[in-house]
Amino acid sequence: MEEDKAAEEQQRFSYRQRLKAAVHYNVGCLCEEVASDKEIQFSKQTIAAISELTFRQCENFAKDLEMFARHAKRSTINTEDVKLLARRSNSLLKYITEKNEELTQFNSEQRAKKKKKLEEENKKPVEPAEAGAAGRDSSTV
Amino acid sequence: MGAGGARLCSAQAPWVFATKTTNPAMPCAELGCRGLERRLKESSGYRGLGFGAQKSLLEIPSSRRLSISTKMNVRQRSQRARSIGRLAHVQTSGHLEEQTPRTLLKNILLTAPESSIVMPESVVKPVPTPQVVQSSKQESSRGSLELQLPELEPPTTLALGLLAPGRRKRRLRLSVFQQGIDQGLPLSQEPHGNASASFLTSSLNLTFATPLQPQSVQRPGLARRPPTRRAVDVGAFLQDLQDTSLALASPGNSLRTPAATLPTDTVLEDTQPFSQPLVGHSPSVYHSLPYLFHTEAKDAEKAVSHRTQSNGPRLQNHSPGKPAQLLPTKAKKVDALAMSFTNTSSAISGEDEVEPSQDVVSEEAEEMMEESLNMGEVKDTTGTQGSVRTEKSERHAEMTEAFEAKEPEGSSGDKDISASPELASSTTEFLQTRQLQFPKSAPPPSTAILSSEDLEPLPTRLPPRARTLGPRPRQDPYKTGLSHYAKLFSFYARMPMEKKALEMVEKCLDKYFQHLCDDLEVFASHAGRKTVRPEDLELLMHRQGLVNDQVSLHVLVERHLPLEYRQLLIPCAFSGNSVFPAQ
Repeated sequence: MEEDKAAEEQQRFSYRQRLKAAVHYNVGCLCEEVASDKEIQFSKQTIAAISELTFRQCENFAKDLEMFARHAKRSTINTEDVKLLARRSNSLLKYITEKNEELTQFNSEQRAKKKKKLEEENKKPVEPAEAGAAGRDSSTV
Repeated sequence: MGAGGARLCSAQAPWVFATKTTNPAMPCAELGCRGLERRLKESSGYRGLGFGAQKSLLEIPSSRRLSISTKMNVRQRSQRARSIGRLAHVQTSGHLEEQTPRTLLKNILLTAPESSIVMPESVVKPVPTPQVVQSSKQESSRGSLELQLPELEPPTTLALGLLAPGRRKRRLRLSVFQQGIDQGLPLSQEPHGNASASFLTSSLNLTFATPLQPQSVQRPGLARRPPTRRAVDVGAFLQDLQDTSLALASPGNSLRTPAATLPTDTVLEDTQPFSQPLVGHSPSVYHSLPYLFHTEAKDAEKAVSHRTQSNGPRLQNHSPGKPAQLLPTKAKKVDALAMSFTNTSSAISGEDEVEPSQDVVSEEAEEMMEESLNMGEVKDTTGTQGSVRTEKSERHAEMTEAFEAKEPEGSSGDKDISASPELASSTTEFLQTRQLQFPKSAPPPSTAILSSEDLEPLPTRLPPRARTLGPRPRQDPYKTGLSHYAKLFSFYARMPMEKKALEMVEKCLDKYFQHLCDDLEVFASHAGRKTVRPEDLELLMHRQGLVNDQVSLHVLVERHLPLEYRQLLIPCAFSGNSVFPAQ
C-alpha cells in the first residue's frame, strides 16, 4: 500500500515535472520571439521565473474555474466561467469573447453543413427532387 | 506548556483514574466532575470529532450565558458533559499523556484554589493558544463562577463590556463611569452587547475581573496600546462632558462639533433629569436605548456615538444617554463603528416607532441612512479582507426589517441591500479580530446625511447643526466614509501619517470597494441571480484566499463572530443537539 502510494506520488511528481518542462519550453519560445521583436535579451532566470509563474497561475485558474462552475451549480467548466475568470483584464476579456463568438459561429455553421449533408444523403435515394428542395431549404437555413 | 502539562497530568492522574472507575458524579464538586469528564473525554482521543462538538457545546453555554439564565446552562452543560463523560469513560485509559493547552488550563483551574480563579488573566496570559483554549478554560472556570453569577449579575454585565483586556479596558472605564453617573440606565445592556460581540474568552475574563475592576483595568501588562491613549479617552470623555455643558446653547457650525456635543448633551440630560426641559423625552431615549442595544449586541459605545451623531439632529430630544457618543473621534473602535452602522438603522427604526410625530423626518433620515449604509456596506465588503462572512445574511435579516419597515428609497439595487447587512456584520467582526484598515464608512455617511437632513427645528436647546450643511450629494457621504476609514487606518498604524498618505489610502480603499462590489455583482449574475447572496460572498472570500481547502467559512465564522451571528450562519452551531463522535 505504501509502496503504491509512493509510486503514485512519484508518478504524479514526474508528471508535474514534465508539464513544467513543457511550459518552460513554450515560455522560452515566446520569449525568444519577443526578444527578436523588441531586440532585447531575456536571461535564463527570467524565463524560468516566468514559466514557474505561469504554472502556478494555471493552478490558480483551474481552482477558480472549478469554483465558478460549482457556484453556478454546474459540474462542467463553461466558457462563462472562463470569461468570469478573465474579466479582470479588459483586453483579454474582449479577446476571449470574440473568440467565443467565432467558435460558436463556426460550430453553428458546421452543424448546418452536417445537416445539409445528412439531408442530402437521406433524400437522395428517395427522390432527387426532394433532395433538391432540401438542398434549397438548407441553403436558406 | 508540555512540562507543566505533564506535571499536572501526573498530579491528576491518580484522581482521574479513581474517578474514572467510580461514579463520575460522585466525589468531587459538580464543576470538578464536569471538568474531569471533559478532560477525560478530550484525552480519550475524541478530539477529532468530540472536541469540536464539545467545543461548540462549551462555547454555546459560555456565550449563551450572557443572554440566558446561567442555571440552565449549568444544567445543560452538566448533562452534556456527563453524557460525554460516560462515553469517554470507555476510552479513558492511557490517554492522559495527551495534554493540550486546553486541558492544561482546565487542570490548573480545577486544582487551583478558589482565590486564584478571581485572577483569570494571569492564567490566561501565559497561554498563547487561540481562543479555543481560552473558551475551554472559561468553560471550566465558568462552572465555579456560575454560583457567583446571580449575585454578580449587574456588575457582571458591566464587566462584560470589558471584553479583551487591551481594548475593552477603555470601554470598561467608560461604562463604569457611566454606571456611576446613572445606575438605572439600560447601559448595562451595552456591555452586554459588547460582551456578546467580543470573544467568548474575554466575556469570562470580564466576569472574573468584575470584583477587581479597579485593579484589572490598570493592568499595564495587558495593555495593547500605550496607556496614554486610555487616559486620553477618559480625559477626553470628561472634557466632552464639560464642553457639552458649555456648548449647549452654541449653534454647531461643523458636523463634528455638534455631533460630539449632542451626545454629551444627552448624557448630561440623563444624569440630571430634573435640570433639563427634556425630561419628557428622556423616557423615549431610554426606550430607544434598549432597543438600540438590544438589536445590536455589540460594542456600541463608539458606534452609538456615531449613530447618535447622525441621529442627533433628528433625535436631539430623544437620544440622550448615549455615552459612547462622547468619544466619536477618540479610540475609534472598529467594531463600535460597525455596530453604530447597524445600530443606526435599528435605532432609527426604533426611535421612529417611539416618536411618531417625526415619522416623516425619520423616514427620510432612514432612507438616507439606508443609502449611506448601503454605501458604507458596499465599501465594507471590500474591507472585509478577513471577515467577509456569510453572517451577512443574518445581518441582512436585521437590517431588512429596519429598512423595509421604512420603505427605503432606491438604494443601489438589491445587491447593496442584501450585501450591506452582510458587509456590516462581516466588517464588524473582521475589524474586531484583525486590526484592519477598512473600517466602516457607515457612521460618517450616515452622520453627514442625517445632519443634512436635519429636520424640523427641534424645540429644545440643541443647536440646529446641519442646517448649514444642506442636502449633500451622495458622493459626499461616501467621501466622508472613506475619510473615516482613513482615520481608522492611521489609528491602527500607531504612528502619525501624512495627509497625502491618507488620501492615497482613501483612493485605494475606494477602488478596492468598487472592485469588490463589481465582483459580487458578477458572481451573482454568474449564478443567474440578481441578488447577492452569501454564496457569492463565500466565493469572494475564497478568491481572496481567506477561505480555502483548509479553512472553511464555518471555521472563520466560528473564530471571529459572536454566537448570535454564528447561529444564524451555521444552523447547527446553536441547535442544542448533543453531537456524539461517530464511532
